[in-house]
Amino acid sequence: MEKQVEVPPALVQFAQLDKVLNLARANSLWPMTFGLACCAIEMMATGASRFDMARFGCEVFRPSPRQCDLMIVCGTITRKMAPAVITLYDQMPEPKWVLAMGNCAISGGPFNFPGQYSVVEGADKILPVDVYVPGCPPRPEGLLEGILKLEEKLCSGWRRWPVVET
Amino acid sequence: MSLSAIKQKLAEIAVRSADAASPVPLAVDTAHAVRGTDLDVTVPPERVTDAARVLDEAAFMLESITGVDFIAEGQMEVVYDYTFTASGERVAIRARVPRAKPELPTVCGIHPGANWHERETHDFFGIVFTGHPDLIPLLLPEDADFHPLRKDYGA
Amino acid sequence: MSLDVQNLDRETFVVNLGPQHPATHGVLRIKLTMDGEYIVDAEPVLGYIHRMHEKMGENRSYAKFLPNMGRMDYVAALFNSHGYVAAVERLAGITVPERAEFIRVITCELNRVASHLLWLGAYLIDLGGFTPMLYAFDDREMILDLLEAVTGARLTFCYFRFGGVANDVDENFVSGTRVFVARMRSRMPMYEAFVSKNIIFRKRCEGIGVISAETCRRYGATGPVIRGSGVAYDVRKAEPYSAYPRFQFNVAVSDLCDNMGRYRVRVDEIVESLRIIEQAIDQLPGGPVMAEKVPRSLKPPKGDCYFNVESARGSFGVRVVSDATENAYRLKLRSPCLSNLHLFRECSRGMLLPDALAMLGSLDLVIPDIDR
Repeated sequence: MEKQVEVPPALVQFAQLDKVLNLARANSLWPMTFGLACCAIEMMATGASRFDMARFGCEVFRPSPRQCDLMIVCGTITRKMAPAVITLYDQMPEPKWVLAMGNCAISGGPFNFPGQYSVVEGADKILPVDVYVPGCPPRPEGLLEGILKLEEKLCSGWRRWPVVET
Repeated sequence: MSLSAIKQKLAEIAVRSADAASPVPLAVDTAHAVRGTDLDVTVPPERVTDAARVLDEAAFMLESITGVDFIAEGQMEVVYDYTFTASGERVAIRARVPRAKPELPTVCGIHPGANWHERETHDFFGIVFTGHPDLIPLLLPEDADFHPLRKDYGA
Repeated sequence: MSLDVQNLDRETFVVNLGPQHPATHGVLRIKLTMDGEYIVDAEPVLGYIHRMHEKMGENRSYAKFLPNMGRMDYVAALFNSHGYVAAVERLAGITVPERAEFIRVITCELNRVASHLLWLGAYLIDLGGFTPMLYAFDDREMILDLLEAVTGARLTFCYFRFGGVANDVDENFVSGTRVFVARMRSRMPMYEAFVSKNIIFRKRCEGIGVISAETCRRYGATGPVIRGSGVAYDVRKAEPYSAYPRFQFNVAVSDLCDNMGRYRVRVDEIVESLRIIEQAIDQLPGGPVMAEKVPRSLKPPKGDCYFNVESARGSFGVRVVSDATENAYRLKLRSPCLSNLHLFRECSRGMLLPDALAMLGSLDLVIPDIDR
């Protein structure tokens, strides 16, 4: 019979401190300046004057993966680009999250057809994705909601911002 | 150089029709509004460089090179699209190569801008441009050994 | 300042710029051989966002391929749609109603202004100035609101149909466009004062990245790149199409040949586009916006044809080869950015790396348009 491997609990646990840390992490996400395709323009628009991502503590776009904790996969990942995307993800320090923006990052989108020879059919084939934002491309409001969802996930389901009534 | 002078020069290069009694060069005047080109010339593949030289001397700009795979006829066509920036006249040069051995000389030496277009055509159709300085994949991965726009790709 | 590349006897080293680099606006990779800060050779490596548009053109019907055109050069999506629908219309012999042609011109020119504004913002970020982008995006959002109301999309428009446009424009669009034109005119002096006269901007642009007119011709560079080198080549004038012959406008040209020349051309083009929009709105005729009797499954007669339009980045051409079936036999998309980037290798030789990046930004590249 196989021996059950027990994961030893950390010697000291800081439940309350973790909560505070996660609240801080959730409200100071640093995304990477990393545009793949069309969705990158909507990501720029989200960061610019009208939609102003800074309101949600998520405006410090960093060009270097070493300084980021959020990778917004905004666009199609091609087979030629996939190794570079994985390298970028590996270069990001822990803890880190991935947001798949747009249909291409979710499933290959319109470029996923029988006999296709170039695109990776979804970012989740190569990366652990936390939040999916559908759309082609998603509106900036969609991306903002995706980021709020990620913040909610970081705070174990507690949402700091109100839900928009439809 | 006027369009009629170019036509005359290209007519000397162009493929003659099969009818030996009256060898008419296959240089076609086309209505710009109908076909998008003013002149449409089919040349033998080994003479595309001569046609390119004529158009380069006339200060035409090479806009694109593309291939078409006519699988039913066992041939591939390479189309060179030229435009004249001063007046907007367009010339298309065509060359047919056999599918079994798709080879024709490069025009890189005449138009440096042909370099990438030829690499792209090689990517998509496997047409070999002999004398090309660097015929490696442009858009496909470095190790690509397939030609996706051939009609028998994936069949 | 430049380096005598020919007589180089020092050690060089190779640096990869990209495929993820903020200055390459996407996934362009440039293999740089450097001697200190000077470029000995800069070889662009493409294909990191190759999305098989030409293949998709062959394996689906003409109408089903329409949304793809918004995803090639997404910053100026309407021009690509225009080139494609016009090429198929030319092949199938469809005549477009006058009102539809006018609406095409208005929406395209709005798209051109939006594209140039985005370029302005992104280019100034390249040069180290962040604030202009916030102003440019503010104006751009106004255009996107107008276009969204008629096309239903903010970015990847799929609005043109074979034989016309999908929706008619309403009174709100007309009045909104008038308001926008007036506002944009009033903003131009601000941009001039804010950007054009900025000493840092001028130092990065004047005399940097000189491209001769002959180089442009040999590489097939078009659009603001060739016009910034003193050649007044504009497809709207050279091969008049759609409703453009009816409007008075000048081709923006600059003979500076440097980054500043290309910047001037784009800024002047915004003003010219506003002129076109104003005239088209004033003369907007009534009538239908779709041609009658366009078959649901379009089968153009056997043959091929070429159509090119003046996109925001240069001459965008479409060659359609039809075999009288529902799908195109071959669809060649001639993207302006490919040729515009091609001359970078030759022109950047011997330049300082920051100068070369300033030149790269001035070419206004959209990488998915290059890779297709």
